[in-house]
Amino acid sequence: MAASDWFGFDNLTSFLLIGAALFALGMLGFIARRNLIVMFLSAEMMLQGVALTLVGFGRYHGNWTGQVFTIVILTVAACEASIALALTLVLFNRRLSLDVSLWSEIHEPDAATPVDTLDPEPSETHSGPESYPHLIPAGAEPPHPRQPWIERRE
Amino acid sequence: MHGSFLVRNCWLVPFFPLAGAVAAAIGGKRLGASAHIPVVIGIGLAFLVSLGLLGAAGADSTTVLFDWMNAGGLRVPVEFRVDGLSTMMLSMVTFVATLVAVFAVGYMAGDPAYPRFFACVGLFVFMMTGLVLSNNYVLTYVFWEGVGVCSYLLIGFWYAKPAAAAAAKKAFLVNRVGDFGFAIAIFWLWTVANNHDLSYSVVLDPANLKLIRPEAIFGISLLLLWAATAKSAQVPLYVWLPDAMEGPTPVSALIHAATMVTAGVYLIARSMPMISSDPRVLAIISLVGGITAALAAAIAITQTDLKRVMAYSTVSQLGYMFMALGAGVGSVAQLAVVAAMFHLFTHAFFKALLFLSSGSVMHAMGGVIDMRKFGGLRRKLPVTCATFAVGGLALAGVFPFAGFWSKDEILAALKLASEVSGGAEGTGWGWVYGLVYWVAVVTAGLTALYTGRAFFLTFFGPERLPTAEDLAAAGHGSHDDAHTNEHGHGHDDAHGHDTHIGHESPLIMTFPLVALATCAVGVGLLFGPTGIFEGHLEHTLGFENLGHAEHGTDWNSILIGTFAALFGLALSYPLFALPSRIPSILATRLGMLYRASLNKFYIDEIYAAVIVAPLSFLAQLSKFADVYIVDGLVRLIAKLPRALSRSALAPYQNGLIQFYAAAGVLGLAALLAILLLI
Amino acid sequence: MNEITTSEFVRSLLAVLLGGGGVYLMLPKGVSGISPRRGFGAGSAAFALALLISATFWSPPGAGLSRAFFVLFGLTSIASGTLMITARDPVHSALWFAAVVLSTAGLFLIAGAQFLAAGTVIVYAGAIIVTFLFVIMLAQMEGKASYDRSARAPGRSVLSCFLLMWALAYALISMRSDARATVEGGSARLLADERILIPTPSITRVGNSPPQSGLSEVLRRASRPTAQLPERSNPAGPHVAGLGATLFADHLIAVELAGGLLFIALVGAIAIATPKPPIRPVVRVASPPANAPRL
Repeated sequence: MAASDWFGFDNLTSFLLIGAALFALGMLGFIARRNLIVMFLSAEMMLQGVALTLVGFGRYHGNWTGQVFTIVILTVAACEASIALALTLVLFNRRLSLDVSLWSEIHEPDAATPVDTLDPEPSETHSGPESYPHLIPAGAEPPHPRQPWIERRE
Repeated sequence: MHGSFLVRNCWLVPFFPLAGAVAAAIGGKRLGASAHIPVVIGIGLAFLVSLGLLGAAGADSTTVLFDWMNAGGLRVPVEFRVDGLSTMMLSMVTFVATLVAVFAVGYMAGDPAYPRFFACVGLFVFMMTGLVLSNNYVLTYVFWEGVGVCSYLLIGFWYAKPAAAAAAKKAFLVNRVGDFGFAIAIFWLWTVANNHDLSYSVVLDPANLKLIRPEAIFGISLLLLWAATAKSAQVPLYVWLPDAMEGPTPVSALIHAATMVTAGVYLIARSMPMISSDPRVLAIISLVGGITAALAAAIAITQTDLKRVMAYSTVSQLGYMFMALGAGVGSVAQLAVVAAMFHLFTHAFFKALLFLSSGSVMHAMGGVIDMRKFGGLRRKLPVTCATFAVGGLALAGVFPFAGFWSKDEILAALKLASEVSGGAEGTGWGWVYGLVYWVAVVTAGLTALYTGRAFFLTFFGPERLPTAEDLAAAGHGSHDDAHTNEHGHGHDDAHGHDTHIGHESPLIMTFPLVALATCAVGVGLLFGPTGIFEGHLEHTLGFENLGHAEHGTDWNSILIGTFAALFGLALSYPLFALPSRIPSILATRLGMLYRASLNKFYIDEIYAAVIVAPLSFLAQLSKFADVYIVDGLVRLIAKLPRALSRSALAPYQNGLIQFYAAAGVLGLAALLAILLLI
Repeated sequence: MNEITTSEFVRSLLAVLLGGGGVYLMLPKGVSGISPRRGFGAGSAAFALALLISATFWSPPGAGLSRAFFVLFGLTSIASGTLMITARDPVHSALWFAAVVLSTAGLFLIAGAQFLAAGTVIVYAGAIIVTFLFVIMLAQMEGKASYDRSARAPGRSVLSCFLLMWALAYALISMRSDARATVEGGSARLLADERILIPTPSITRVGNSPPQSGLSEVLRRASRPTAQLPERSNPAGPHVAGLGATLFADHLIAVELAGGLLFIALVGAIAIATPKPPIRPVVRVASPPANAPRL
């Protein structure tokens, strides 16, 4: 066995530490973010952390089981993503918003409904498509630059 | 003996009524008004088989159907015994039951629960025949309980009527008190019986009986007596029987004559080989019988309800049987048992007859049974009058009716017993039998008196029919409160009491009356003096070992008994048949006695005060403890988490999935930290 | 108890505290004293410091360039993850997630899982990310929504998650320092504590027999209890071939189950996402009375 093939406990620990960090950060995203899609992305990141852990263990023990597990996780993640995105679409069509706070009807009747005490950050000016470079058709007077871009699309 | 075809198939006797009952119960809705057919046929077939079994009876004829219990040292087979005693009982039970069932076809016609009635009757007969046939104490106990259940079902047949429901409950509870004694007796017997075998052939074997300690025999016998006093309505547990007439009249006839009350007498007679070895128990039995007979007869004199008179008369006559059983000391033993069973046998016929006749009167009077409300019915109800007269004469014990022969035998047995145990070599209990003998004589006079009273009040004197108010008060009410007009009792519907009361009953009801009347005249003469009955009973387990001395005809007792009966009857004619003021004068003169008798010597009230009230108080106390202490504790414990969750935990159930996830993570992190740091 | 040096303890605590504080500052917190831009900058600086501190715990496998790549991919994955959960725009989140997936794929490569690395990139970056972006664009055509600009209870969330992270890291570090002492004969065993005793598997080596082909062999291996799997496969053999052999023989049932799961998810996604007609209230037409005359 070559020296570079050596994979000891310290090496394993490195993988586990990174996996744990990804897991915890994903957890944080799931808990703290209110966008449904970002929440699902965070859940996927937690799965990534677990996959990293399993691969590291598989490497450490020198067999394929960890990778097989990871493949199964990959499958489950794909399934979860498809179902979750379908659900997200349905939910968005109902409320026209991706805020998870709108989906909290299942609570105790006299429990206080969750109120977001925090006001949102001031929105930065959004650079819309008007900043994109575009060609002015020949023979037409360009619209006034101050006009909102949606009205300029005629 | 074992090979006998009939003995091997004796299970058919209980089977036929059971099959009939099941058919009536299952097919009741479909059969409707013909639901009686399977039951009557079943009981009738059982009677025919019983007749066949009479010839096959032998002291050792038994047949095992299958093993019921086989646990360790206890083996209880379903085993039937076909000997003299059981075949005699079987024939009597099935014969009377057949006639009662036929009578009920007319009596119960139109009742909405017609199939249920016949199903219960069939079941009742099944239980009773099973009880008589079974060959060990445990199986007897099963049927013993079954008889109690069936009596409950039938007494409370009109369960919507409060009096009937109460009577049924009373009968059942009082019987439970007795059953308790029986159960203890069986447990005790199991501990002392040879090889723990509870079959009669083992327990009652003289060789095995010798191995049992006398104290055990004394205790077991007393417990069996305790059981018998409940089932056979003896002091102190007789109180249920008079109330039991709340059921339909055919049920009363069945209970009083054939199926229920005879069970206790049968049990004592069956266990006679064991009981007769202890003169103390015998004396107690005799004394119990004497007290019961006199007490019940004294109550019967003043009752105004015809059926109630008959009910107390039953109690009194059962007392006679116990007197006779108790007289079975030494060499008198066999004579005593034969006398008791013979009286049971004849009594079944004439008491069934009297009850059915009362039912016929009641039927004709539109449900009124109070003797003050009617009178002089001999022209309206000629057949009923004649049959009632026959039954009454038999009950009074007038020559040559059935009751005469059996009562005479009892008197003779009592006299012999007092002589045997009173002598120099006697047991010292002679005075008891002497006393009981005179009680029996006096009771015979009283019996004749109240029988004559009931008869004359009902059938003699100026003709009176119940008024419309009586009918309104009692007619519908007396036994079919439960059913309103449109569903009324058969005769109410069919005949309409306002215009048609006072008619003779239909043929299907008079036929059993005539048949029973014939028996009431004939069976005494046929079986008594000829010795057929005695000869038949000798084929009974253990009876050949009972003492039987030659005894001549006791003319003294015959004369005394007949005199008492005739005196009573003669006294009743001027008092009750002719318009006379003597009864009312007597009632005022003997005010206290009269009232005590009218109120049944306040026995029910005493029981209510001494037993029911403290128990009820205890129950209330327990209920209080249960509701406020036990339940309170439980409710308190239940309130605690509810209050906790309502105030402390419910706010966290805010429906926000991220909050739940955060709580889970925090918990996991805290758990990990604790595991690592501590 | 687990051995852990004071230096390790302080470093881990510092990393977690700095990281937690940094992420707290980076999260969108709505209106607060600090301006979002400045808070983000300070937070990312603190987090970068924490990341560097935590990198001191890593001992990358291999030698030379391999180690450098490990550190690079590790730092990238964690930093991308942090940026993903703090990004105000979900499109940015999705792109940062793609970066996480790519760097994780690199780590897979270093751990010797070439097939998985490729598969992850293809499946995640190629399919899932694209689907996410598609949905994001479908649902959020304009601007940043207000709910993207305020996190839910950032303090509480950061506290619980970094407590969890610290607990995990502490456990791993302390186990490593224990295991360091028990390395012998080239075979390190997880012997951190007598409470966590991993029995050395005493398994008959079934892989020694010459591999047979055919359905019966596949079925025999597929129906083998998990405890009888070979403890150590031959790492020297062809890599993807070895994985395929074990995947389609030893774990055949799992693969079939995964396939079934995918199929069911496909059916479910179509059933859920297909637009349905709106549910109309049931209009009850009053039925004519029973005795109405019939025509």
